Amino acid sequence: MDPAIRTDGLRKAYGDVQALDGLTFEVDRGEFFGLLGPNGAGKTTFINVLVGLVRKDGGTAEVFGFDVEGEYRQARDRIGLAPQEFNVDRFFPIHEVLEHKAGYHGVPQGEAERRAEEALKTVGIWEKRDTRFDWLSGGMKRRFLLARALVTEPELLILDEPTAGVDVQLRRDLWRVIERLNAGGTTILLTTHYIEEAERLCDRVAIVDSGRIVEVSTPDELRSRGTDQVHLTLSERPAAVPALDVEGVVETRLEGSTLVVTAQGGGTVAPDLLRELEYEGYDVLDLDIRRASLEEVFVDMTRTDEAAEPMGVIQ
Amino acid sequence: MSADSNPGERRASNPGERRASNTGEHRASNTGDGRETPTRAVDSRGGNGVFGVGFRSLLRREILRFVRRPTNTFLPPAITNVLYFAVFGVVLGQRIEDVAGFDYIVFLLPGLVVLGAISNAFENASFSIFHGRWNEYIHETLTSPLSYTSMVLAYILAAALRGITVGLIIVGIGLVFTPVPIAEPVYLAAFMIVVPLLFASLGVIGGLVANDFDDLTVMTQFILRPLVFFGAVFYSLEILPPLYRTLSLVNPMVYMVNGVRYGFLGYQEVDPLVSLGVLSGFTAAVVALDVYLFKRGYGLID
Repeated sequence: MDPAIRTDGLRKAYGDVQALDGLTFEVDRGEFFGLLGPNGAGKTTFINVLVGLVRKDGGTAEVFGFDVEGEYRQARDRIGLAPQEFNVDRFFPIHEVLEHKAGYHGVPQGEAERRAEEALKTVGIWEKRDTRFDWLSGGMKRRFLLARALVTEPELLILDEPTAGVDVQLRRDLWRVIERLNAGGTTILLTTHYIEEAERLCDRVAIVDSGRIVEVSTPDELRSRGTDQVHLTLSERPAAVPALDVEGVVETRLEGSTLVVTAQGGGTVAPDLLRELEYEGYDVLDLDIRRASLEEVFVDMTRTDEAAEPMGVIQ
Repeated sequence: MSADSNPGERRASNPGERRASNTGEHRASNTGDGRETPTRAVDSRGGNGVFGVGFRSLLRREILRFVRRPTNTFLPPAITNVLYFAVFGVVLGQRIEDVAGFDYIVFLLPGLVVLGAISNAFENASFSIFHGRWNEYIHETLTSPLSYTSMVLAYILAAALRGITVGLIIVGIGLVFTPVPIAEPVYLAAFMIVVPLLFASLGVIGGLVANDFDDLTVMTQFILRPLVFFGAVFYSLEILPPLYRTLSLVNPMVYMVNGVRYGFLGYQEVDPLVSLGVLSGFTAAVVALDVYLFKRGYGLID
């Protein structure tokens, strides 16, 4: 079975800037897939290659097995895109914009009207159906972009920064809709700056930098690559940082009577730390393991200093 | 399935089989959804040809865009032509001798019809495409599964329709001032279809080439208008000295005006059949160029 997205060696240059530099990865059907990367990493360029708004210089890209250039009609018909920019027809009330979009995808008028109504109700702006896009509030504009992506009932829903500049309540509303679609079998490709959102929602994430995939993994797996912090509260403040001979420990420092140990895999080193400290005569009152966040791992992997240790300590 | 080194080449496997397997999975993944159709619309035969549902939707959108804003699209040419008829036709026309045996106002009418039809056809296509590019909502069409031919034809036909409508409005206004003969209805219809189509397809290029709204103005002011004014709209070629008469024949507008005038008055200065043939060929070539530009994404994609 063909995956939802398959790219191989995708390349695109704008003058001297290599926006995509051999991008290769796959998104499985039904997956909730996150694309994370700093600004200018090539995420939007990649999405635009899939929908035909950017012509690739090299490599291949397929959507459900259909080549995005050779079989562009089949590929595009399966994609619903909620872009970052507000690129909406200004001449028509929003329900008609949806009917037109469905029509371009071959949906007959009556069915298009029904779908437009459903999509507007799904995102909660049905009462604004006769308004033109320019007159919607910022949050409603975001909702509308999602409705427009849904009106063609896509098998692959692409969301490019869907919650940029959106308040908390609306973000939760939007995620509820998107999670329900994903549960119904729709493949989701998401780019976002809110890494905790990706961490919570995505089955897998790809970290992109300079037009290449740095890593593809589950959020959990990625976090386990980062360094955790073990906070050990001691009964007395030690005179000096205790010397700990435990494998995996990267750094040890004191904050008052709390010993902060930075280590790879906090859960596994904790028992060893306790044993070691007890052996040296310290009394441990409290133990707290703070796992690395995806954000820390992300920052680490995409930092501009190429020579930096790939998994060093983030302070 | 190996990585295809030539992305433009079609896959060898049977598209029908792929379709069947794809939609089967899609259905299975949408359990309990009774509305899910067995094939996606674009995959099915029928509503999917060049003139299928997608094409008709875009055509409808394009037509509604100008129909719903009559004060911007139909009123200006109506007012302009009332002025032309009143001033050139009535006030000045009474002082002008018959031209080629016709009242000046009658001689003038076909030219004004052509002038209104072509400028509106051109303006509609160029504006619609440029405005869509400017506000990026042309992405709604570009990211849809419409074939490039369908997209281009929808833009052109809608724009030509606006040109023809304006032509009819001008005839209507002319009727207020003078009776309008129709000597060669078939020729008239043929020219009034081909000429707006030609300028609609030129308008597509204008809309793709323009970088800002001023560029659109420049195109009509510096290219369209001089061609029209030296295109025998307001005078007969007979009155020109031989040199300028010959020079005028380089102007494509002469053949359009002459053709439409032949349709109305049965009066010709150039063979209308040859004109019609050349204009049709030229139109076909420009339409083909439009489709090519859309395929290449000229002015549309990065």
